[in-house]
Amino acid sequence: MNDPEPTDEQRYPTLSADGRAMLMRLREHPHAPLYHNHSGNRLTAAEVERVRGFEDEVMAARIDWTHDAPPAWLPDFIAQCHLEVPHYRALGSAPQRLEDLPSVSRADFSTDIAAFVPDTAPLDRLINFRTSGTSGHPLLIASHPVVAASYLAFHKRALHRFGVTLTASRGEVGVVLLGMQRKCFTYVSVTPAMNEAGLAKINLHPDDWRDPTDRAAYLNDLQPEVIAGDPISFTELLTLPMTWKPRALLCTSMALLTGLRRQLEQRFTCPVLDLYSMNEGGPIAVFDPAVDGHVLLQNRLFVEILDENDRRVPPGQRGEITLTGGFNFCLPLLRYRTGDHASIDFHGAEPVLRGFSGRPPVRYRAADGTWLNNIEITHAFKDLSLPQWSLHQAADGGMTLRHAGGGHQDEPARTVLQRLFGALPLQIHPLPAGGDKVIQYTSDLPDPHA
Amino acid sequence: MTHEGPQLEHLTRRLTETPVDFLAEPRVGKNGLVQVDAVVADLLRELGGIPHAREMATFAGFDAKKDRNRLATTLLLAWLLGDEWFRGAQTSPQAVLAVLGSAPAELAAQTAARSFVSDPDRREELVRVLLARLDLRPAGETTAQAQDRLTSISATERERFIAASRAAEERARAIRAALAKKAAEESADKYTRE
Repeated sequence: MNDPEPTDEQRYPTLSADGRAMLMRLREHPHAPLYHNHSGNRLTAAEVERVRGFEDEVMAARIDWTHDAPPAWLPDFIAQCHLEVPHYRALGSAPQRLEDLPSVSRADFSTDIAAFVPDTAPLDRLINFRTSGTSGHPLLIASHPVVAASYLAFHKRALHRFGVTLTASRGEVGVVLLGMQRKCFTYVSVTPAMNEAGLAKINLHPDDWRDPTDRAAYLNDLQPEVIAGDPISFTELLTLPMTWKPRALLCTSMALLTGLRRQLEQRFTCPVLDLYSMNEGGPIAVFDPAVDGHVLLQNRLFVEILDENDRRVPPGQRGEITLTGGFNFCLPLLRYRTGDHASIDFHGAEPVLRGFSGRPPVRYRAADGTWLNNIEITHAFKDLSLPQWSLHQAADGGMTLRHAGGGHQDEPARTVLQRLFGALPLQIHPLPAGGDKVIQYTSDLPDPHA
Repeated sequence: MTHEGPQLEHLTRRLTETPVDFLAEPRVGKNGLVQVDAVVADLLRELGGIPHAREMATFAGFDAKKDRNRLATTLLLAWLLGDEWFRGAQTSPQAVLAVLGSAPAELAAQTAARSFVSDPDRREELVRVLLARLDLRPAGETTAQAQDRLTSISATERERFIAASRAAEERARAIRAALAKKAAEESADKYTRE
């Protein structure tokens, strides 16, 4: 099959001379890293306007559903999915109530994503997002350039909550996305909805640079308005002599402990946003310390907390975060179980996810025989600065902690775990570098799932 | 179709008047409301039969993909069979059980259950299939007329279904191919990456 590489015209359909100069600056800067890949915004002029209009809509929107009163758009959405999406069409007629629908999971998407793509989705501009994940179900998510560009609307909504309004424009760098992996997809681009402000996705791993000292020099010179990354790349960023102060940090992908967040806030004197975001649903929520939970960002996303029998649990009770709606018109979600857990609560009229945990709960047995839920461990670790960790309990009760926070955090971590579990055998090892996701909490004890 | 049955219009009208209980969500695994096996058991009792648990197992749902639409269609047929005419004609419970055990799966494979209520052609098809499986023809029609009309209306639907299935398979192939293209792999910009 003839499958040509995309051209720059396809990557940047609206590129101006200024945009071209920005790409050149990012790529050919004397301190630039070795860029391995190409990508682009892919947006036509009409789509840029559509994305801008969407940003306005999202900024102005209210999330007005409650536990007892689902959103007004829900019945039409359910009916549309049953009309246009092969998987739901095969179930027969649209049910009148969402709760009559069986949930779907990552395993269903993994089996055949094509069954979840609506008949109306245009195929000529389809893009994919791949996730390996840690659940054993690699995913290929169908998406579209407009969907990818629409993430910014939710980031702006989240930033607005923290008093930040993005202003980067022509000739400036809007965002640098950080990775810290041996192998990382890196590229440069421009964001047309922000008048072609620059975008660079870089890998802080020293192997990607002619000289490791170039990392700080490059970032200092680009002066990105926002830096996006995960706890691992931000931990690496803390080691660099970067003097530039971005206006915000956006953290995704992994649990961000309070200790690391405070360290980043102090060092860069800017808000650090802990985003709950996934390829399947985009940016879903942002952690707000003022309400001690993740506040939802999407006005067309209904979030249910389900028990294992697909029943919606009452506010305050933990269960699996399950999504309906979303903004990806190539993959509408209908009771999609995320694999993540939390309870839902209402701060005034605003839905808030509390006690968020990225995996099904796991119980650990303390020396005195009592059981502790993994969420208590995350909570107890909050003042440490561990960028990534995993905790395993063996069948004999012995614990093994692996973390990427450096040897100086071994003793504080040991103190925390001994306070929680008493005198159990405890080994602490470094987590191998590489930046891959890990399954955070595991146990060999029978029936460890809470 | 050796025996004359009720008026076609009588049953199609009955379909349009299906009460909400028979349009409610069939119980499938942990979802849904109506226990279809209980509805079928009641129907058989009304017709003088004795429902056996082993036979009723066919009307319990476990897999939404296989069972939901089939059981929703079963409910519609049960509503039709609850008509006075069938009791008056002393319709055999065993024949009813046989129809409910086979026809819904065949019909549901091609048509969403609600269409058997909302679409006039599908209403007629459901009634004609039901009567034919009970060896009945609509009142006032000859066997040949009833056979012709059933063949015609079912064939049209089958052709539509085959064409739709073919188009769906082709579309799924096209989606998989589009997602595997270099342009799709290269993806597009986002302000964050998961």
